[in-house]
Amino acid sequence: MYLALREIRFAKARYTLIAAIMLLISFLVLFVTGLAQGLAYDNAASIQNMPATHFVLEQGSDHRFTRSQISGEKLEQTRSVVGESNAEPLGVQMTSVVLSGDIQKIDVALLAVNPKGWLAPDLTMGTSEKQVTDGVVVDEKLAEHGVKLGSILVDQASGTRWTVTGFVKNESFSHAPAVFLSKEEWMGLHSPSSAQSGSGSAEGQAAYNAVAVKATEVQVSKLQSAVPNTEIIKKADAVSAIPGYKEEQGSLLMMIAFLFVISAFVLAVFFYVITIQKTSQFGILKAIGTRTAYLAGSVTLQVLLLSVFSLAVSIFLVKVLEMALPGTMPFQLGADMLALTCTAFIAMSLAGSLFSVWKVARIEALDAIGRAAA
Amino acid sequence: MNNRLEMHDITRTFADGGLQRTILDRLNLKVAEGELVAVMGPSGSGKSTFLSIAGALLEPTGGEVLIDGKSIIGLDKQALSELRLRKMGFIFQNANLIPYLKVEEQLMLVAKLAGSSKEACAARADELLQKMGLTHRKNAYPHKLSGGERQRVAIARALMNDPAVLFADEPTASLDASRGLEVVAMIAKQVKEQRKSAVMVTHDDRVLPYCDRVFYLDKGKLTEHPV
Repeated sequence: MYLALREIRFAKARYTLIAAIMLLISFLVLFVTGLAQGLAYDNAASIQNMPATHFVLEQGSDHRFTRSQISGEKLEQTRSVVGESNAEPLGVQMTSVVLSGDIQKIDVALLAVNPKGWLAPDLTMGTSEKQVTDGVVVDEKLAEHGVKLGSILVDQASGTRWTVTGFVKNESFSHAPAVFLSKEEWMGLHSPSSAQSGSGSAEGQAAYNAVAVKATEVQVSKLQSAVPNTEIIKKADAVSAIPGYKEEQGSLLMMIAFLFVISAFVLAVFFYVITIQKTSQFGILKAIGTRTAYLAGSVTLQVLLLSVFSLAVSIFLVKVLEMALPGTMPFQLGADMLALTCTAFIAMSLAGSLFSVWKVARIEALDAIGRAAA
Repeated sequence: MNNRLEMHDITRTFADGGLQRTILDRLNLKVAEGELVAVMGPSGSGKSTFLSIAGALLEPTGGEVLIDGKSIIGLDKQALSELRLRKMGFIFQNANLIPYLKVEEQLMLVAKLAGSSKEACAARADELLQKMGLTHRKNAYPHKLSGGERQRVAIARALMNDPAVLFADEPTASLDASRGLEVVAMIAKQVKEQRKSAVMVTHDDRVLPYCDRVFYLDKGKLTEHPV
C-alpha cells in the first residue's frame, strides 16, 4: 500500500498514460457490451418480454416462427397437456405498412395475440384496456414516423387497414417495431378466401405460427409425444433463431472478448517492463527485509487501482453517452450486465499482473550487494 | 564484551566449470558491540560473498553465523527476510534509496515493514534525521539530494529499526574524499553511540582511521592488520 501509492504519486505521467489506455479500452468494452445488449433486445424484445417458457413450433421449422404453421387442433392438444390457461397462440409475420395519406413504407412485425391473454403487452398510451380487438397496438418507435392514436395503417401485402388504438414500449421483433393485432384481424389477413366462402373452419387449418406455453420440464417432455409433428423449443432458442440474431451477437461478443484479452495484455506488458526496469530496486527492498508477498501485493494493488479508476471513469462516460444518445439507438446496459462486465475487466487486469508478480518473486535480494547503481 | 556478530568457520564454494572453487575458507570473525571493522581486499577476493553471507543474503556451504548470539543457519526465506529487516542495517555502495520516496518516507517504510506504530516511526525518523543533519531535507526526493546526503539517508535508514549489526558495502565509492570521510565518520559515531557491531567492506584507505580493526580478505581467510 505504502509503496504502491507513493510510486503512483511520484510517476504520475507514467501511470496516467497507462490509465488512459485502460480507460479507452474499458470504455469500448462497456459501450460495445451496451450495444450488444441493446441490439439483442431490439431484435427480440417482444419474444423476451413474453412470460412464456417454451414455444411449440411445427416440425422442421428450424426454430423459426415465420416458417412454422400450427393448427388450432395442435393448440387444443397443447392446452390439454399444460392446461387451458398456460398455452397461448401466437402469430408472427413480417410486413410493411404505410401510414394512410403518406407514401413512406415502414417495416413492421405483425404479432397476433389474444388481447385478453398473457401474451398481450402492457399499453403505455391509448385505450386503458387491452382492446386490441378494436384495431392494432403499435410500438412507440412508430411515433417517429408520424403514427398517432387513431392513425390508419395500410398493410402493403393485403391492403388491410388498421386503426392504431394504443402504444406499447420496447416491443420489436427482428429489429422491426411490433404491431399487435387480434386473432380476428389475423384471421382476416390469412384466410380472406375462406372468410368469403363462409367456411368457419379456417381456424382449424394453419392458423398460427406457434403456441407459447408456460410449462414445467415434465410437461414439456409430455408435450413432445402428445402433440405430434412439432418441436418444443426453449424461449432462448427461439430468440437466437431470429434471423441475424446469432450472427449479430456473435460478432459483438468476439469484439468484447478481444478487448478483454487486449486489456490484460496491455497491462501485462506495461507492468512487466516496469518491473524489469525496477529489478535492482526490488533487489534492494528485498535485501533490507521487504517480503516478496508485500512487493507482489504492491504490484497487484497498482494494477487494481488503475483498472478500478479507469472503469469508474468509463462507467461515468458511458452513462453520459447513454443519456446523450437518441432513443432509437439500441443501447442497453443494465446494472447486472455492468457489474458482470466490470468484474470480468478487473479479473482480466489482475490476470495480466500475474506475470509481473511472478517476475518480482524471482528477483534475488543478493543482487543488491556489489552493485554500482540502483 | 558482547559480540553482536560472530562468524565461525565460514566456507563457501562455487561450482565453476565442473571445478569446486573455494571463495571463503573457514573464515572467522567476531565483531563486538560498538565496534566498526573494515574488510579490505583486491577485486575478486570474495568481499561481496563474505558480506552476503554475513548479511543473511547467501547461505554458506559450511560454518555458522551468529547474530546477537543466535545462529541464522537453516532459517527459511521469510525468517531471513524478517531477520534482515529487524536485526541488520544495510548501507550500499550507491545509497540505493527508493527513488519515489521522500527522505522521511525512506525511513518510515522500513519501520512500517517491521510493524512499528506510526507515532513511534515518526519520532524515530525525526531523531535520526536530526543526527544526520538532514532535518531540512526530509521532504526531498533522492534525486534532489547530493551524493553525501543520499548516503546519510542510507545510514539513517539502516539504523531505523535499531538493528544489531550494520553492513556497509563500499559506502564511499561514489563520493569524493572529504564527503567519504564525513560519511564513514558518521557511521563510526552511530556505531559507538548506539552500540552496534559494524562491518564495512571498502577499497578506500583514507577511511581506515575511523575503524577499530582492519582485516584483509585473501585466499578465503581474513587476516588482521594494524590500523
